[in-house]
Amino acid sequence: MANQKHRILMVSDFFYPNFGGVENHIYYLSQCLLKLGHKVVVMTHAYGNRSGVRYMTGGLKVYYVPWRPFVMQNTLPTFYGTLPIIRTILIREKISLVHGHQAFSTLCHEALMHARTMGYKVVFTDHSLYGFADVGSIHMNKVLQFTLADVSQAICVSHTSKENTVLRSGLPPEKVFVIPNAVDTAMFKPAPERPRNDEIIIVVISRLVYRKGADLLVEVIPEVCRVHPNVRFIVGGDGPKRVRLEEMREKHSLQDRVEMLGAVPHAQVRSVLISGHIFLNSSLTEAFCIAILEAASCGLLTVSTRVGGVPEVLPDDMIVLAEPDPVDMVLAIRKAISILPKIDPQVMHERMKELYDWHDVAKRTEIVYDRALKCPNQNLLDRLSRYLSCGAWAGKLFCLVMIIDYLLWRLLQLWKPAEDIEEVPDIVQPNHQDDF
Amino acid sequence: MDSNSSSPTPPRWRKVAYGGMQPGFDDNHTDESFLEHMVMNANVVKRDILKVMQDSVSISQYLCIVALVMLVWTYTLRSTLDENSLLLLDVSLLGSGFLILVLTEEMLSLNLLFHYILNISFFITGLYVLAPIYQTLTRSISSDSIWAVTISLLVLHLFLHDYSGSTIKAPGALQNPTLTSCISLNASVVASVFIASRLPSRLHVFAIMLFSLLVFLFAPLVTYCVKKYSFRLHLFFSFALMVVTLAFVYMLHQLVFVLFLGILVFVNVVCPYWLIHIQEYKFEINGPWDEAKLCFDITD
Repeated sequence: MANQKHRILMVSDFFYPNFGGVENHIYYLSQCLLKLGHKVVVMTHAYGNRSGVRYMTGGLKVYYVPWRPFVMQNTLPTFYGTLPIIRTILIREKISLVHGHQAFSTLCHEALMHARTMGYKVVFTDHSLYGFADVGSIHMNKVLQFTLADVSQAICVSHTSKENTVLRSGLPPEKVFVIPNAVDTAMFKPAPERPRNDEIIIVVISRLVYRKGADLLVEVIPEVCRVHPNVRFIVGGDGPKRVRLEEMREKHSLQDRVEMLGAVPHAQVRSVLISGHIFLNSSLTEAFCIAILEAASCGLLTVSTRVGGVPEVLPDDMIVLAEPDPVDMVLAIRKAISILPKIDPQVMHERMKELYDWHDVAKRTEIVYDRALKCPNQNLLDRLSRYLSCGAWAGKLFCLVMIIDYLLWRLLQLWKPAEDIEEVPDIVQPNHQDDF
Repeated sequence: MDSNSSSPTPPRWRKVAYGGMQPGFDDNHTDESFLEHMVMNANVVKRDILKVMQDSVSISQYLCIVALVMLVWTYTLRSTLDENSLLLLDVSLLGSGFLILVLTEEMLSLNLLFHYILNISFFITGLYVLAPIYQTLTRSISSDSIWAVTISLLVLHLFLHDYSGSTIKAPGALQNPTLTSCISLNASVVASVFIASRLPSRLHVFAIMLFSLLVFLFAPLVTYCVKKYSFRLHLFFSFALMVVTLAFVYMLHQLVFVLFLGILVFVNVVCPYWLIHIQEYKFEINGPWDEAKLCFDITD
C-alpha cells in the first residue's frame, strides 16, 4: 500500500451553511481525509455574505468563491467564467487531485472541466438518481456525459446509483466505485432510556415535497391512525406539501395525534428522532438516504419505500420495506409495530457503528484517489477523440467547448504565469488523534 | 485477495452498501447482477397504421376548417361576399353548431342552454360595439404586412392547436386548457382582427369577426362533440369537409390546390407511415432508479 499523501480540492455548489446529504458527505469525508494526513481544500460558491476563505474544524480550508447562486443554490453556468479563479486556487494550494460532487452542481462541472484542461486527475461523486424520460433528465444526462467523458474515476453512493451513472454516462463499470455515505454515530446516539412502550411514535423527517412522497404520507397517516389507536406521528420538515398534510389532519381530526414541527434544524434532528420508535421514509426516489442511517443510529426501526438505493442501505432485520403504495405501506407499518418489542435501540446503535464509519469511507476513497493518480496522462488530442464519441452533435459541441477552454487556459498562462501566483505555506495542524 | 477464493466457502458478493468494503472484492466490483433490473421498452405501444391514419383525420379536418376560413376572408376582401350573405353565414353556423351540440350532448339541461345563449348574446354585443375600433386599428400598416403577419399567426395557430380536444370547454370541465393551446387560440383571434381591419365598413368588420371567432372558438368544440358521439360520423364529416374544401380551393387557384392536396396527403398518409417506421428506433430504459409513480390521484 503506497502511503502517498494527496492534496485534494473538493468542489461542489453544495456546502455548509447549506444542509443536506452532499454537504454532509463532503464535510465528513474531508475531515477524515485530513486525519489520514492528506491536505484537503473545499471550494464552493459564496453563501450570502460568507465569501472568501474560511477555516473549519480540523483546519479544513474552504474557499467561498464570490459567485452568486442563481437557482436552487447553483451558480449560473458560464463555462469559462470560473477558469481564472479555479486555476489560481489549484496552483496556490499545489493541488494534485480534484474531486467534484453532485451532478446538479454547475460549479463542480466547470471545475472538473478546467482541471482536466490543466492536466489534473479528477474524481467525480454522483449523489443522485436520474430517469431517462423527460427533457430535464435528457439535458442533465448530456451534461454528465460531458463531464464524465474525461473523468479519471467516478464514485457512486449505492449500487443502484452506479447502474444509473453507468447508463447515463457510458463509463465502463470498472471505473465506477461504490462508496456509500456514512453516519456520525457519535452524534446520533439513542436516548439513554427507552421511550415508553404504551404508545408508539412514528417519526417522519423530510422536506415535504412531491419527490419525498409527502402525498403518500397524506394517504398513509389517517389509515394507520384508524387501525392503531395507540400510534402518534411526529412530522418534521417544511415544503409546499405541508398544506396538504395539515388539511389531512383537519379532515380526519387528528390534531392531537399528528404533530407538525415545521423545518427541523440539523442540530435538533437527533432530539426529534429519539422521541420516536419507528422512522418512516416515504421517498419516491433516493440514491442513498442518509436520513435512514441517522434514524437507525438513534435506534429507530425504519419503514421505507423500496425505491432507488434504499434496499441496499440496511440489513433486512433493521428495516421494513414497502412498495410506494399506501396499502402496502400501512401493512409494512403494521409489521414494524409487531416486531418493535424485539428491537433494542442500544443494540441497533452498536450495529450501526460496525456497519457505517466515515473513516472507512475515507480509506476507500483514498484507494480511488490512488487509482486516479495512476491513470496515464493524455494529451489534448486523445481527450478530444473521447469527447467526439459522445454523440453526433453533442460530441462536436463538447470538443469546441474543450478547445476554447484550452486556448483560454494558454492565454491565462501567458497573462499570469504560474510562477507569479504565490503558493500557500502548509500549516501543520496539531494532530488531535482521537481514534487513530 | 486470490487466497480467499480457494477457501471452502468463498464469501459471496452481495449488492449491499452497508458493512464497509466486502472482503475479497474491490469497490468497483461488477458482477452479473449488474443492471439485471433494467427493463427496456416496457411501455412501447405497438401501433397500427390504419388506426394512426384514422386519428390523423382530426388534423386534416381542422386544416380544412382553417382553409375554409381563409377562403371566406379572401372572398370578402375581394368583395365577392357582401355583408348580408356573411351575416347569413354567421347565423347558419351558429344555428347548426348549436344543433349539433344539443344533439350530441348527453346531459342536456335547459339551464345549460340558457347559459350558452346568454354568453353568446353578451359576446355578440361586445363584438358589435368594438367593431369600429377594429376597423381603424391597422390603417397605417400596409396590406402586405398584414397578410404576412396573418399567415404566420395562422401557421403558429396550426402548430400549437390542441387536436385531441378542445380549448373551449363545456362549463364544469375538470381539466384546464394547456398553455400552448391558449397561445394557439390567441394567435387565431389576433389574425382575425388583422384581417377584419382591412375591410371597408363596420358591418363587414362585425360580420367577419363574428364568423372567424365562431369558427376558431367553437369549431373545435363541435368537432370534438361529433367525434365523441360517433367516430364514423366524424370520419364521414371530415371527408365531406375535405372534398368541399378541395373544390373551393381549386376554384380559387390551382397551385394552391396542389399545395393543399400535398399537405393533406402528407398529414394523412406520409406522417402515419413515418411514425410507424421510426418506432423501431425507440429505446426506452426503466429501472430501480426511476422515480416511483403514485398509484392514486392527487387532488389539490
